Amino acid sequence: MTSPVPLRRARAVLTAGLALLLALGGAAAAQAERALVIGHAEITEAYDPAHAFNPTSGMINRVAYDTLVTFPDGDASEILPLLATSWSISDDGLTYTFTLREGVTFTDGSSLAAEDVAFSFMRLKNVQAQPSFLADPIASIEAIDERTVAITLTAVRPSFLAELANTAFSVTNADAVRAAGGTDAADAAETDTAQEVLNQTSVGTGPYVLESWSPQDRTVLVRNPDYWGEQPYFDRVIVVNIPEAATQRVALVAGNIDLATDLTPDQVVALEGEDDIGIYLGPGRWTHFLLMNRDPEVGGPMANPLVAQAVRLALDYDGYRDLWAGSVTPGSNMWVGLAGAYGQDKALTRDLERARALMAEAGYPDGFEVTMHYADLTWAGVSLSTNAQKIQSDLAEIGIDVRLLPGEVQVALEGYRNGTQGFGYWFWGPDKLDPVDFLEFLPGGKVSGERARWMPEMIDEATRALIARAGVETDAEERLEIFAQLQDYAQQDSAFAPFSVPAVQTAYRADIEGYVWHPQWGLDIALLSRK
Amino acid sequence: MPLYQYLLRRVLFAIPLVLGITVVAFLIANAVPADPINANLPQSALNNERLVQAFREKWGLDQPLHVQYLTYLGNLLRGDMGVSIRTNQPVLDDIRQFLPATVELATTSILVGLLLGVTFGVVSAVWRNSPVDYLVRVVALIGVSFPVFLLALIGLTVLHAQLGWTAGPGRLGFLVSRPPHLTGLYTIDALFAGQWAALRDAAWHLVLPSLVLGLYVSGIIARITRSSLLEVLGSDYVRTARAKGQREFLVIMRHGLSNALIPVVTLLGVLYGNLLAGAVLTEAIFAWPGIGRYAYRASTSQDFPAIMGVSMLIALIYVVANFIVDLLYFFIDPRIRYA
Repeated sequence: MTSPVPLRRARAVLTAGLALLLALGGAAAAQAERALVIGHAEITEAYDPAHAFNPTSGMINRVAYDTLVTFPDGDASEILPLLATSWSISDDGLTYTFTLREGVTFTDGSSLAAEDVAFSFMRLKNVQAQPSFLADPIASIEAIDERTVAITLTAVRPSFLAELANTAFSVTNADAVRAAGGTDAADAAETDTAQEVLNQTSVGTGPYVLESWSPQDRTVLVRNPDYWGEQPYFDRVIVVNIPEAATQRVALVAGNIDLATDLTPDQVVALEGEDDIGIYLGPGRWTHFLLMNRDPEVGGPMANPLVAQAVRLALDYDGYRDLWAGSVTPGSNMWVGLAGAYGQDKALTRDLERARALMAEAGYPDGFEVTMHYADLTWAGVSLSTNAQKIQSDLAEIGIDVRLLPGEVQVALEGYRNGTQGFGYWFWGPDKLDPVDFLEFLPGGKVSGERARWMPEMIDEATRALIARAGVETDAEERLEIFAQLQDYAQQDSAFAPFSVPAVQTAYRADIEGYVWHPQWGLDIALLSRK
Repeated sequence: MPLYQYLLRRVLFAIPLVLGITVVAFLIANAVPADPINANLPQSALNNERLVQAFREKWGLDQPLHVQYLTYLGNLLRGDMGVSIRTNQPVLDDIRQFLPATVELATTSILVGLLLGVTFGVVSAVWRNSPVDYLVRVVALIGVSFPVFLLALIGLTVLHAQLGWTAGPGRLGFLVSRPPHLTGLYTIDALFAGQWAALRDAAWHLVLPSLVLGLYVSGIIARITRSSLLEVLGSDYVRTARAKGQREFLVIMRHGLSNALIPVVTLLGVLYGNLLAGAVLTEAIFAWPGIGRYAYRASTSQDFPAIMGVSMLIALIYVVANFIVDLLYFFIDPRIRYA
């Protein structure tokens, strides 16, 4: 396909030819192969699920394998069944028992069994490769019968189900991996040799099969005809490595590729309005927030909880949404895509009158001067300086005179990480796609303690107990309730003021449908189709 | 001096050179203040003393530096460049995989550059100080000074995306299957497999990158050819040739150019080495999976065996290229024969 014109012509001829065949009554005529080309900056050294741990392998293994449980298409708002149809957690929170789906077969025709799950996870743990830390909490795995597997953890870990949705926990065909030299034994780090084979082919149950991988060049997936779920649209998917975003843009415009995964936000904006380009905008993974240090020595007036509350009520949330297309207002520092996270509907709204009253109550009826630290950079298309200027004008409304102090990223980060910034503007992406990630922003958490000096002894006993429970409760309903209470609490009395979750932006050919960005696997290829 | 003696001398000179390169490359790669253990072991494994120790032993990091060097040299002599820490593949396999793409592009580029450069240089020297000369010199200047990656991007945007005159990024159309592996040079492999469509497509994809890199090379060659030819054309033997009444075309081609090309040949060896080693950005823009990007990724992850492997390879390429250049001298310049 050397240029868009011959491509279109070829497609037109193909379509016409097919129509003719069908018209002649050849309803069973051979269909042209449906191929999808994805332009992608390849970052992976492996596709073997026990070794691979990066965006590229996440995207490929998402469709080449299945995990026991998964997330919804576009976020991490709940845990959904995949290879496991149901599960239960023991009262002590240590043992997870999964019932496996019936009628699932691997690419070689053999049936999925509990033993495959046990083998895959123990191999992940024992090969001691990049993603192995995810399996560290596993103490033992027992295949109770063909379709029941029990996983026992070393300690209570409420985020375990969310972590199981990571493609590192892909379920592999134990016999096939063993035949390729794989082992789940304790010395697997030294004796397992299956990686070479598993980098070139997949032995899973997903909608696609890895056909070939030429590193730094292209990865080819073909449809798995025996897939247990709904068949995906494309027969063949070619993921070509285009390291430069500028080249991805050219290739997309010229029609060489159907979808570009790595365009910069300004490139996407420049493509807006092009007839043959479609654009996706959805909430991204970064929550932008203000930090108000609770140590009076460092934070000064900002250490006063009443001032912090006034700041939260003084921010013009609608304004930030207007500023960044597709962005949403978070209701807390819990990433909006997590289970039970407060989104825009439960977010604070601007209330200058109350904010001014709080300032007076705190003893600052005429306001004060304060310096705001932030990194002088543009992150995922959002200029921190632009937001900083808006924060400055928002807070001027309640008498806070903000002096902006942008710093070189590494320098500014230093002050943020060691907690010497009294007032700062930063952003956060969840380390874990589970509500426990929010505990970072509550007393006892790293961000709260090290960066905002907001300590457990500063809060009441009941809230401390609630936070402690949040770290160990495994019941889904209970967790929702606990995290709702914690978010309510944070809206009133927190050292942070989250104000914006900017969008992720992706561009593709206008005839591509079904694109959804996901924080875990980036892109689910099986959801894509062509108009 | 007979040819064999000349050859032998060149080879003997090359041996200490290659040895010296191994020492320098080894020392530089080791002087980098970064720990390959941190760069290549996951966090969970870093806390495991047994695994860290196993890693040190596996890569010989627990040995003193001179022992490490001798081990490396010993393995190298047996054709073993070690295993890449990052890709977990033998470095030699990695090089075999990534080098052909670069060789294919560098070769076509140097040919394009030579053709354009010599033509430009001759035209420019013969019509010295005429508008043609100025035009050629401006083009040559652009070729030399314009950032290659920018030229590549403009080429792709205008010639490919807007006009559709050239192929897009990559070594092949994204829907075209690779020809069966033989040499790794897609054009040659497709030719031997009789896959004419793939051959046409591979050649087509070579055009734009070769032009871009070729233009860069041609700028340098044109300038050298011009100045060298001007010097030659002003020499006594050319005046003699003209005085004999020889046709101007023959004077320029036979007496002028053949003598003026000696510095160009010298340059070719260096330029070809440059093209093989230094096309990282061009390879990135054209999505060309070559050795440049492999080297870049190896160096950013402190992949010591891979860094050494690529360094050795590039050094070897320079040595071989210069060896060939020396050979060419022998044939082009009779003075060397009798030295």
